[in-house]
Amino acid sequence: MAAARPQASAPFVNRELNGEQLLDELSELRNAQIAQKHLEDLARALHELEGRRVAEAVIQLKQLASNRFAGQPAIASLLVRWSTRLKSEVDVGLLVGHLERLALVSALLGAFRRGADRLPKGGRA
Amino acid sequence: MTVPDEVQAVLDGWSPRGRKIFKELMEDASSELQQELVQRAMLAGHTTGEVHAFADELRGLSDDECFAACTLDDDAPEDYTVTQLLRAESDPLFAFELKGGTLTPNEEDDAPSAALPMQRREVMEAPIARELAADPVRRAKEQRAGFNAESGGFRPMVVSKPAALAVAAVAPSGAMPAMPAPAGRLFEDLLGEATRALGVSWREVELDVPGGVPIDQALQQAASALQRGIPIPCVIGNAQGRPLRYLLVLQTSTSGTNRAFQLYEPFSQELVWANEKDLLSRGELPFDNKSLRRLLRMALPNARGL
Repeated sequence: MAAARPQASAPFVNRELNGEQLLDELSELRNAQIAQKHLEDLARALHELEGRRVAEAVIQLKQLASNRFAGQPAIASLLVRWSTRLKSEVDVGLLVGHLERLALVSALLGAFRRGADRLPKGGRA
Repeated sequence: MTVPDEVQAVLDGWSPRGRKIFKELMEDASSELQQELVQRAMLAGHTTGEVHAFADELRGLSDDECFAACTLDDDAPEDYTVTQLLRAESDPLFAFELKGGTLTPNEEDDAPSAALPMQRREVMEAPIARELAADPVRRAKEQRAGFNAESGGFRPMVVSKPAALAVAAVAPSGAMPAMPAPAGRLFEDLLGEATRALGVSWREVELDVPGGVPIDQALQQAASALQRGIPIPCVIGNAQGRPLRYLLVLQTSTSGTNRAFQLYEPFSQELVWANEKDLLSRGELPFDNKSLRRLLRMALPNARGL
């Protein structure tokens, strides 16, 4: 009998994971004055998580929070929060994707701000 | 964020728009070193446009690269004058250009820099001007298009005719375009710069126009990219050739044969779902502002190499 395919756990099947929730997290990071560079570092660091088992991923997330991102409490807190929600290997890949997308959205919104003057009335029309 | 008193003093002399840009540049700076270099360029008396262009150049660099690009180290060529060397010490933007870095002004300068730094600059510029003819580095810089750190203020770039037309299409009538876009493109260059470190480059397409991409094909490619975790930047407006706002497609969701896209409009901060069929039929976009009717342009990712 084939083994049951692992399912993503509830926080990762939430339709708003990469929508409203992502924007909320981004707002939180922005309020904490997290620079884009740190989000890019985070995205790169998370690549090492891909393919890891849940227990390993949780340990690595907590290590990232307490070492590499210790100086950015908002990122550290985000990592610890998400580490407690990992239940299956599928979740690990989805979390990596979510946080990479967070870095991309942040970069693109920054580009929009810088390019606002290319639009009539600075994009406020 | 708090800034040193001397920076705040200069900032107080900038327009509200200039102050807003400065705040954003500080937020977008990749590191404290970059923030420091941008602040020093500002203190050296550069205009808003010059400081903005400088910050844009630094953003894609690591701290080591920034440091190397903005300082004259021990191996500085002997043909730098003493005045240049001294000025480069205090003005990273000047050093950046002296070392061959090029900047493209991307902000209309709507306010002069504060009086004090400008006075300081004038004092420092006099001897450099006298040495101009004999200084090959400076002579080469003078021949370059665009502006340089020596200029007294903003000098418009020479824009080719197609580029000028492209800009005119998106700029308010009578106003000088603040950030000239490459010909036929509105935001591809900005996006590429913003996501370079994340390994994503972009190809901007105009939707449903001759020479553009049909919207059904563009949405198909967008859906594929979204499935791979790449959000899709777009431009929306009320008619072709009349762009009004930027928009980000955050994700897609499929139920049976129906596909929907989640759209985020950052200015109003509206987050809505739009059915693909409505987008294909060019129905109204579901935003409160009904002048935001259509998707006009879309940036599709070329590659992902994070």
